[in-house]
Amino acid sequence: MNKLHFKVGLFAAASLVLAAVFIAYLLHARGFFEKTFHLQLAATSADGVAPGVPVVFSGIEIGRVTTLGLNENGGIIIHTEFLGRNAKWLKENSTFTLDKPIVGGAKIRVDSPDLRAPALPDNATMLLLTSDISKEIPALVERVKAILANVEYLTRKDGEINATLASVKTVTGRMTGEYGVLEGVLGSPEKARAVTDSLDKTRALITKLDALTAKTDQWLFAQDGMAEQTKASLAQVRLMLNDAQSSLKKADAVMANAVEISANVKDGTQDIAKLRAEIDDAVRKANGLINEINKKWPFAREPEVKLP
Amino acid sequence: MNFLAASIESLGAKVVGWFTVGYGMFAFLAQAGLLLLEPATWNRATFDVVVKQIYFTAVQILHVFLGYALVISWLIITIILSTARDFGLTEFASEMTIRVLVLELLPFLTALFVALRSGSAINTEVALMQVNNELDALAHCKVPPMQFEFLPRLIGGVVSVVTLAGLAGLLALLMGYLAIYGMNVAGFEPYTRTIAKIFDFRIMAGLIAKCALFGLAVTLIPVTAGLETPKKLFMVPVSVLRGMMRVFFAIVAIEVVSLALKYI
Repeated sequence: MNKLHFKVGLFAAASLVLAAVFIAYLLHARGFFEKTFHLQLAATSADGVAPGVPVVFSGIEIGRVTTLGLNENGGIIIHTEFLGRNAKWLKENSTFTLDKPIVGGAKIRVDSPDLRAPALPDNATMLLLTSDISKEIPALVERVKAILANVEYLTRKDGEINATLASVKTVTGRMTGEYGVLEGVLGSPEKARAVTDSLDKTRALITKLDALTAKTDQWLFAQDGMAEQTKASLAQVRLMLNDAQSSLKKADAVMANAVEISANVKDGTQDIAKLRAEIDDAVRKANGLINEINKKWPFAREPEVKLP
Repeated sequence: MNFLAASIESLGAKVVGWFTVGYGMFAFLAQAGLLLLEPATWNRATFDVVVKQIYFTAVQILHVFLGYALVISWLIITIILSTARDFGLTEFASEMTIRVLVLELLPFLTALFVALRSGSAINTEVALMQVNNELDALAHCKVPPMQFEFLPRLIGGVVSVVTLAGLAGLLALLMGYLAIYGMNVAGFEPYTRTIAKIFDFRIMAGLIAKCALFGLAVTLIPVTAGLETPKKLFMVPVSVLRGMMRVFFAIVAIEVVSLALKYI
């Protein structure tokens, strides 16, 4: 056996087998053993589309644009080609969008919202939508410009924001002083001290008021306090009033007698003397009553009942 | 005035020299091609020499070459992957790896490897044969040197460079898969898609043609350079020097033209 020939034969055989395997793999990868699936896309403009533009589904390339041309009505017809294994992602409710990113080439995006929908037939025609970011850029730039102008205006020298920041700086500077936040709010340590002083005084005043309230309480509501005395006085007053009422009733009766008497004046004058004495007695009693009440109750009135 | 005339004359001499070399090369190539078409060429003796040439050019160095291809592939794949990750371009990393390694770098390095090892040897051998009148002796003994010495070398060179570049490329594809997806089959589907995207018919045909041209360049140029050697022993190193310079320029020119055809 020729060793040299054996080695070369081994080398050649191995190389040929590897080459054959690689070519078979390549043919499989390129879909040589599969049916190709065709799809037409109708678009208004072929801007950015060229043969070789990928058709992607969920970010994965499943097909490519093969040719594109005009139809009789001036519309664009884009022919795309898919491997048989990728055709299952194309459904009747799929949407086809032409994406033109700022960086990178254009691609046709397939969105299939419902994968249970019926599959697209071969050689179907679908509509191609366009989403062109570059067309939105000028509008975006205009808006950003306006915003920047506003920001510039707000942050200009001697603008509101600068003034506010300066004020905040002053206030926070004061806040670090002896009287802290109070000084920051009031503006100077003197004013802050006045506030703390008045607070101190208020505290003292409240202490005094506390003591006073306790004393008043004692004076008013304790055993033999003012309240109890008043209650007793009122009971006496009621008694006196009853007394006065009975006296006045007597006087009433006397007055009735008097009318009767004056009707019979001629019946004798000694009765008038007796009557006079009785009225005087009643008036005196009433006077005494009023005096008594006046003693108990400080009425600022003359203690007198005028007799007609 | 004399100086100008001398410059023009030397330029003319150079141009004529280049044309002579080019003409000699293509005439030799045409002769070899014609011989290849003759049925008489395809006999057992020629075949044995071809096998021997393939053994010396490819099989003998296979383990060294594959080790070298492994290291350089691994290095370049790692660099491309980490750079792509830094710039957020991971999705393009596999395509970049395949394009740089399999399509450009590995065939070029294979050609250089074979040129430095076998090309220089062929050049020296042919130059010595020429100086020692061995070629005339062979022709006299009815052993045409074209059929038994030169044509097998050309065939061996082409076959070797194409095979070695192919093996290195397959190794690089495997390394690339392992570097990107690791030891699992999860990445098979996307990797297959990338490969399918890159290797269309044009690219495959271009790759094979480029490798064949490399193989031809690293054997044809040394043979013709050796045949040009004046019959003086001290001219042998000069012949090798010239031959290797031409090989280098030819390899670079083939690479540049292939790149231009592919991407311009």
